[in-house]
Amino acid sequence: MRTPFLSGDISRRSFLKAGVAAGALTATSRWSSAQADDPKVLNYLSWPGNADPYLVEQFEKENGVKIRIKEYVGGDQMLAVINQSPPGSFDVVLADAEYMHLLHAADFIEEMDPADYPLKDYWPEFQKFPLHWFDGKLYGVMTDFGYLGLSYNTKEFTPKEVASYAALWSEKAKGKVGFFDWYLPSMGSISLSNGNRPPFDIDEAHFEAVKEKLFSLKQQASGFYTIADIFSSLTNGRAQLVPGIGEWITLGLRMNGVPVDTIIPEEGGLQWTESLSIVKGTPKRDLARKFIQYTTSPEGQVKMATKVDNKKSIPSIPGWKLLNETMTKEAEILRMTLTGPNVMDEYKAKKIQFRQLPNQQEIADWNDVWSEFKSL
Amino acid sequence: MAGSPRVLPAVLGIPVVLWQAVFFAAPLIFLVVVTFWQVKSFRLEPAFVLDNWTRILFSTTFQRALVHTFTVAGTTTVLAVAIAFPAAYTIAFRLSTRARDLAVAFLVVPVFSSYMLRIYAWQIVLSPEGITNALLGSIGIGPLPLLGGAFSLQVGLLTLTLPIAVLTLVFAMAGIDRTLIEAAENLGCRRARVIAHVIIPSLRPAIALTATTSFLLAFGDYISPLFMTGSKPPTLSILIVDTVKSGSQWPRASVIGVSMLVMLALVLGLGQFLSRGRAARKEATR
Repeated sequence: MRTPFLSGDISRRSFLKAGVAAGALTATSRWSSAQADDPKVLNYLSWPGNADPYLVEQFEKENGVKIRIKEYVGGDQMLAVINQSPPGSFDVVLADAEYMHLLHAADFIEEMDPADYPLKDYWPEFQKFPLHWFDGKLYGVMTDFGYLGLSYNTKEFTPKEVASYAALWSEKAKGKVGFFDWYLPSMGSISLSNGNRPPFDIDEAHFEAVKEKLFSLKQQASGFYTIADIFSSLTNGRAQLVPGIGEWITLGLRMNGVPVDTIIPEEGGLQWTESLSIVKGTPKRDLARKFIQYTTSPEGQVKMATKVDNKKSIPSIPGWKLLNETMTKEAEILRMTLTGPNVMDEYKAKKIQFRQLPNQQEIADWNDVWSEFKSL
Repeated sequence: MAGSPRVLPAVLGIPVVLWQAVFFAAPLIFLVVVTFWQVKSFRLEPAFVLDNWTRILFSTTFQRALVHTFTVAGTTTVLAVAIAFPAAYTIAFRLSTRARDLAVAFLVVPVFSSYMLRIYAWQIVLSPEGITNALLGSIGIGPLPLLGGAFSLQVGLLTLTLPIAVLTLVFAMAGIDRTLIEAAENLGCRRARVIAHVIIPSLRPAIALTATTSFLLAFGDYISPLFMTGSKPPTLSILIVDTVKSGSQWPRASVIGVSMLVMLALVLGLGQFLSRGRAARKEATR
């Protein structure tokens, strides 16, 4: 008996599975420009969720416009989308600060006037954020930030036990170390544990040492988790120690009763920073500027900090004040109280390094090491 | 002539040919072409370079993932056929018609339910603080590391493949000429000999089909390796995503995709060859 009817079906199925690349390519490169020119539409390229009504409804009402978001997951995808879209597709872009120099080098973003934005209201440490300035000119405005350190299961580990990244190599952590499946924060933490400051600007010898140290964690690893899986892995106990993540994951879990917390180990932690920039050549420059002003206003900042599914730290002091006045409990949970310990302490203690792209090696080199580690 | 019985099938076949050309052949050709392209500043640029092929094929990560994916898919295939055969035999030959229909219905339902959802359900069952470990804990055993490893990966892949494998074999067994079985029994064959000399030879194409289907599904699966093992170690499907995720290396991801297609074509060819073997032998003995 022959089964010719199935051969086509099987080939098509296997093609669809293996050919995911081609499909995804089309998905990332398509952006209808039909509405891009509409003066009442602000085209916003951003991480998912940033056009949530909680964040933008007030702005839309006040200005009689609609925010139209194109979402991306990860800076590489953001760069791919902006590279492959026709000019004028976007008016404003929210990017992680480490990608800012690539956006600037490719001439995708406009110079901004510092006087247009409340930078003087920011914590002094963030008033002239180095990753936003090129040749003394401003190209991005910080909207929110957070730290990445060592997240741990509080039932299994005490804060003292996880005071250093050395905890990752402990006997107790064998088979319990989960990794967020992104080379940058994960390898950045290992680089910090090797004493590299800054952790991403290292020469070949130090890069080799980071590689060797990373590979020595093979026996400790429980798995490599995507955003979708990192929450469940921390909840169900598969991952009891995770380097390179932070309160953006553990705070929400802890509020739901999961015994997890994040510590900035003695070797230091990383800072992720989100920034808004105006896309070069937009005819809606004024609207884009107004949107950034709104997001950096005290009201916009409080909304940014308290969005239900992704709580963040904010750089604006008036934003902190408004948060403390109107949402006292949230201010405490988010460690943004103006009296007593708060999230600026780690920064002031010089424990924080910026998350940046590799400086002396190619991205592909770091990524190859990460892929090799996963396959060991 | 449009009304001619010879022309009509050809006309009716045109949509299928067009469909295949547009949605199968054209993307496939594009996928192969892209393997020679380059990525510059996160932008895909037409070129003709062999660098993507050499970089992927000679990388230890790809080679390890290839061996791992083959091993995993091979294991799933053996397990799926070994478990499905007795199950299908029982359903097809031992159950009453009513019970058989019920069993088939229970097998069809999972095929049409969300695979992703079923994998999440397995996470709850197998996780360190999950149902199984809670039950084992109540009798003083464990907790056992059930989730994240070869065992949980096979559980996930069999969740995908087993219902299809059993159904294929049940339908094939239902089509076996019962008079052959009766003749063998009348000639004094015991059940084991009937299975070995009548049922299995009659089912040879169906077994080959079940095996190749299981292999193809397991080989290309992304969900189970990701959620049941946490990508440790990565399979080829995961490697495709990894290659794209950082650096937008679509050409290198396409190299992995094309390599997978070539290997699947070889497996499919092997399956066809095995199912043809029987027919060829029949021809020879006539």
